[in-house]
Amino acid sequence: MGRNLWSRGRVRSLACPRADDPGAEPVNGDAFRVRHIDLETTDIDGDAGDTASLSIFWWKDLPLGMRASLPDELPYSRAHLRQFAAEFSAAQLAARSTSLGAPLRATYWGCPKSALSLAAALDARDLIDSLDQLATASSASAQDISVVICTRDRGPALARCLSSIAKQRSAPGEVVVVDNSRDGNARSVCMQFPEVRYIHETRPGLSVARTAGVRASRHGIIAFTDDDVEVHAGWTAEIARVFAERDVEALTGLVLPARLDTLAQRRFQFDMGGFGTTFVPLVFDQRFFEETRPNGAHVWKIGAGANMAFRRSAFDRVGLFDERLGAGAAGCSEDSELWYRLLATGGACLYEPRAVVFHHHRSDWPGLRRQMRAYMKGHVAALVVQYDNFGDRGNIIRIWIKLPAYFLRTFLRTLFDGPPGRIGILAAEVEGWLAGLQFLLRFGWRKRRALPRQNLVEERAR
Amino acid sequence: MGYRLVEIELSKPLAPIELAPQHDGVGLIARWQDRLIGFEMIALPASSVLSAERLKAVADERFADRILVAKVDVELSARRRFAAETALPNLSIAICTKDRAKRLSRLLSSLDPIRWKSAFQSVEIVVVDNASVDATTREAVECFKDVRYVFEPKAGLDFARNAALRAATGDLVAYLDDDVVVDRNWLAGLAKACRYNPGAGGFTGLVLPFRLDTEAQIFFEQNGGFGRGFVRKEFHNTRFDNPLHPVGSGSLGAGCNMAFDRALLVELGGFDEALDTGSPLPGGGDLDIFYRVLRSRRPMIYEPEYAVYHEHRETIEQLRRQYWTWGLGMMAFLVKSRRTDEELSARHRAMVRWWFFDRLKAVARAARRFRGRDFRFGIAELWGGIYGLAGEYDRSRARVQTIREQNQ
Repeated sequence: MGRNLWSRGRVRSLACPRADDPGAEPVNGDAFRVRHIDLETTDIDGDAGDTASLSIFWWKDLPLGMRASLPDELPYSRAHLRQFAAEFSAAQLAARSTSLGAPLRATYWGCPKSALSLAAALDARDLIDSLDQLATASSASAQDISVVICTRDRGPALARCLSSIAKQRSAPGEVVVVDNSRDGNARSVCMQFPEVRYIHETRPGLSVARTAGVRASRHGIIAFTDDDVEVHAGWTAEIARVFAERDVEALTGLVLPARLDTLAQRRFQFDMGGFGTTFVPLVFDQRFFEETRPNGAHVWKIGAGANMAFRRSAFDRVGLFDERLGAGAAGCSEDSELWYRLLATGGACLYEPRAVVFHHHRSDWPGLRRQMRAYMKGHVAALVVQYDNFGDRGNIIRIWIKLPAYFLRTFLRTLFDGPPGRIGILAAEVEGWLAGLQFLLRFGWRKRRALPRQNLVEERAR
Repeated sequence: MGYRLVEIELSKPLAPIELAPQHDGVGLIARWQDRLIGFEMIALPASSVLSAERLKAVADERFADRILVAKVDVELSARRRFAAETALPNLSIAICTKDRAKRLSRLLSSLDPIRWKSAFQSVEIVVVDNASVDATTREAVECFKDVRYVFEPKAGLDFARNAALRAATGDLVAYLDDDVVVDRNWLAGLAKACRYNPGAGGFTGLVLPFRLDTEAQIFFEQNGGFGRGFVRKEFHNTRFDNPLHPVGSGSLGAGCNMAFDRALLVELGGFDEALDTGSPLPGGGDLDIFYRVLRSRRPMIYEPEYAVYHEHRETIEQLRRQYWTWGLGMMAFLVKSRRTDEELSARHRAMVRWWFFDRLKAVARAARRFRGRDFRFGIAELWGGIYGLAGEYDRSRARVQTIREQNQ
């Protein structure tokens, strides 16, 4: 029946969404909280109140899972908390203990497939102790990490983001802010944070800004986050641990919602899938790429640009962000297109949810619609770029068959039991799709490649 | 034709399973350290052998994850005891039966070994004889020690359930249909659910097949059966991920294995006697009571260790009729609750819409794949739904009134 909170009675306000007014009162009257529960220490749900909540469960510093509940379902009973603890912990153990089958590879749908065997399950001992060990926060040094934040006209949000970075348990080697605004209005914000290096990139486009950030950064690992994000205190330390322990080129992490005050935020989180809901580490490798390739490789399931990191060598190998994509240009998907290049040329990406950031979703309805339109437009553009780069027909199949089928399916489902407002989002997505189609036709646009062609040909021949 | 039901204990080495010529499949009931962990149906050629390797592969795929969860659960409870362990209440087990002395004896025999060593303060068994035509039911009851016999002359399952409610003395009433057999951990499962969920209004449990000998029984179990899985679930008045909840209360479980706080049931006025009246409208009573318990703001718990084995309908004809009565009962229940619970009437309307959409989709799918039987069952259920919507609840109320008057 779909993930759907809004029973019909409570969406009257949808008819007259407020205008662009970030930080305004909730668009509808229902309160909705994001709260955090540490299952390691508590077995009583003490702080439920009587408001609907998205509860995020932790075991010390290890995110375990989340669950949205209406006031009637709260507070969680002890039995319920214990059930969450048992089920979430078992999933973590199976995904993180090599003796239980870890690491897990992503399935076609981008979710984990258990590799646990009966013998391993029967042999498993001292599970809670192992969990305690897994949940120990990283103390790895982040001195080799350059954090790159691209921003454009969002002073207050950037200030929040930078103060969260200033509170990192392991300080990063450097923090680079790339200001993509015309008048350099982020400079004054950056002045408050003495350790931040400020760069003004006037050519518009997120890809351009990120590329400038990569060029300006000095360290071996480059971690990206966005200006509408607050990062967890262990973010850089966890990224450092992954790159120290595992030979991966690219990493993505967990993006949790910071707030769910408005209807637009909740709709993005619950109906559009937010930024991923998997809480166990996953390897997106060749097998995942080959499996999903016939329908346009599902690289967007690897993660989000708001929480990703690369070794510098990855950029040397496959090139930088494609400047035709990303906010300010075609829309978005410059991140997933880079992952596509990594996978298509034999690499792998690791999704490690221990690296946590909190994202502020768009709080107003028109903003959400613009965002969904841009996502779809950028997605189509990225499919065109990927087709040009590697000639996989799956990308074209996705544009012409899979996406229209998705629109039709969503439309039919919404007619019967869709959440109100979903049709509006769908309309924005279709608009984005139509806007994206022009990229198929514009040969001049398609020829402008981010990478020299022969470079790619060489990589494929290997 | 028939599946062999086999119970395997996963903590012990797995042995191959041999099939007799009349068997063309295996129904695996898997336990780990006596806990029910999973159920799996595997089609095989007749007289073949399910090798230990294949069995292990099935266990890897299907049961290993649940074992790990169970192990973590065990470690967690060892680490932190539940602070205030609630005392267990007095339990009444109510069995409603009509002209099925053999099955009743079978059920009573399965209860006999477990009732004397349970953690409940006291356990009484009340058999409600629902207007049986002869004395065999009474004779069957007399063969067992300490079983109370109550005769209810008004025919209809919910008359019998209400009679049981009046006769019962326990704080908790566990209802069983006469076509089930209880699992050996049934009482322990109920005790566990009770202890860990103080304040719950009711409990439902796992329903596994008792036998899979006929085509109809196999078909029914393959299409979902009565089981609601091996994970504990908690149901409240509303649910985030389902805006129609609690109107679709069929997801809570089945009426053949359910228990309620007796005081709550009395307060709610017991079961609706116009539902479950036997032949014309044999269904909807369980949906209705689950719904009303949730609406009273008391949670319901689904506990997989509180398990019974249900003897499914034997013939295709009976099964087709059961699909018909599901449609009928569902709609009668929706019509009734829409009248009595105006607050949620929009949800009831939406549920009717969703139900017909969902069934039509199922029928269309069956037609597209040339699945004649699915198609006929789908049509039967749809037709039952239409018939139910067209005043079945009122007709049933009139019938029930007649039955009451006849028995005054």
